[in-house]
Amino acid sequence: MNRFILAIIYISLLPILATVILAAKNYRKSGKSIKAFSWFIFLSGFIQFISSASPWIFANNMPFLHLYVAAGLPCLVWFYKTVLDGFISSRIMWGIAVAFLVFTIINSLFFQDIFHFNSYALFAEALIIIILALFTFMFLLNNTMRETGIPDIKSITWINAGLFIYYLTCLMLYYFGETLFSRYSRELLNYTWLFHDIVSMVMYCCFFIGLWKRSKTPSI
Amino acid sequence: METIKNPVYIDVLIPLMVIIFIIGVGVVLLYQHFQKNLFIHKLKQETLKANYHNDLLRSNIKAEEEERKRIAQDLHDEMGAVLSIMRMNLVLLEQQSQQTNVSLTPGLENVRKLTENAITSMRNISHRLMPPQLETFGLVKTLEAVARQISESGKTVIQIHAPDQMPDLQWGIKLGLYRIVMELINNTIKHSGATQVTIDIHSSNDQVVCQYTDNGKGINKADSGNGLGFKSIEGRINAMNGFFEIDTVQGHGFKAAIRIPLVPLQNGGV
Repeated sequence: MNRFILAIIYISLLPILATVILAAKNYRKSGKSIKAFSWFIFLSGFIQFISSASPWIFANNMPFLHLYVAAGLPCLVWFYKTVLDGFISSRIMWGIAVAFLVFTIINSLFFQDIFHFNSYALFAEALIIIILALFTFMFLLNNTMRETGIPDIKSITWINAGLFIYYLTCLMLYYFGETLFSRYSRELLNYTWLFHDIVSMVMYCCFFIGLWKRSKTPSI
Repeated sequence: METIKNPVYIDVLIPLMVIIFIIGVGVVLLYQHFQKNLFIHKLKQETLKANYHNDLLRSNIKAEEEERKRIAQDLHDEMGAVLSIMRMNLVLLEQQSQQTNVSLTPGLENVRKLTENAITSMRNISHRLMPPQLETFGLVKTLEAVARQISESGKTVIQIHAPDQMPDLQWGIKLGLYRIVMELINNTIKHSGATQVTIDIHSSNDQVVCQYTDNGKGINKADSGNGLGFKSIEGRINAMNGFFEIDTVQGHGFKAAIRIPLVPLQNGGV
């Protein structure tokens, strides 16, 4: 792997670090939805740093990815549940989370074991997040909702935008990844993962702005 | 038919279309669910708003009635006493002037009469603001007294029909119904030219029902909601969670039905 790609991979950790610190700093003062989202930030921060350090400690860091996917989506569903509370039934939201959890466990046990890339679970996760993010944009743009006043709306909009950009890109990457790998050179595949890291940076920058813009008054 | 030779179309594009379809269906389903909940949410908000307005109306009417009661009491206790003393003094002066042969008599007599008029007017005002019989003798007796007074004038005859055993109504309902009936009588006398008014009051199925009929010229039903009097009636009925219905055709008299539930009201009624 050339030094440029390696540099990008390590630079992409900086926004994650900044976001984790900001989320931890503001956690007590945050509203319900930002608190729920902070747990996703803590989880993703922990997994990202462990997996970045893992090449020196572990031979294969794929088990962390399996753990990240299995725990990450329920955290994000929890975040969306608090945002859409009262308008989308909690049963639907928890139903999605539980169904995904069951799917990812089955996938890790029987189809793509924990030492292999869990593309199916990542694909399903991206699909769910894209649906939720697109719907949340519609929800946030609804006139009645704007009149009612959604707590932390600016933060939620930035966070949702970050999730949408990242997971839409990921969906395309997972989708075309195999085609690229089978039909073109491995180097091109490396560049696609470089692109993934850049998009990840964009996502964490959106998260950082969202947490930064968090409304000053904590919602109850 | 031309066949697609490049397998990329089958491997890539068709599954991609399926993915976009899944995303689209997912978003649409969530949006449908949201629309349903949004409607329920709006309905709840409207109900809360309506309840708030009713509470506000109730408390306004309650405050208004309390104020009327206070004014009536003050007029009776203070003004009444002062005017009575004035009258007594004037009578005394009248007697004294007769003794000293000073001709004060016509003037004093005039003042006495004016004072007596003032006392009568004050009593009438006081009774209109808060009829004392309502609290003591109840709604039916009070309305019968009003009907007698108006019927004596000869222009309009008012008949009250009520069962002998009427349940004891809450003060708020009693006062509200009295004000509504008075407003209707007032409208009949002022605008309808009716010679006959019938008021039927009875209670059934946990509600008190009042049916008001006159043989006047009636009103245009479309215009009935525009007057301040009708707005006041509707406001009072809403505050008592009641129901108000008008049946009138221009030139064929006026009919109104008022139904007020006899359940305990919030804030103790008005």
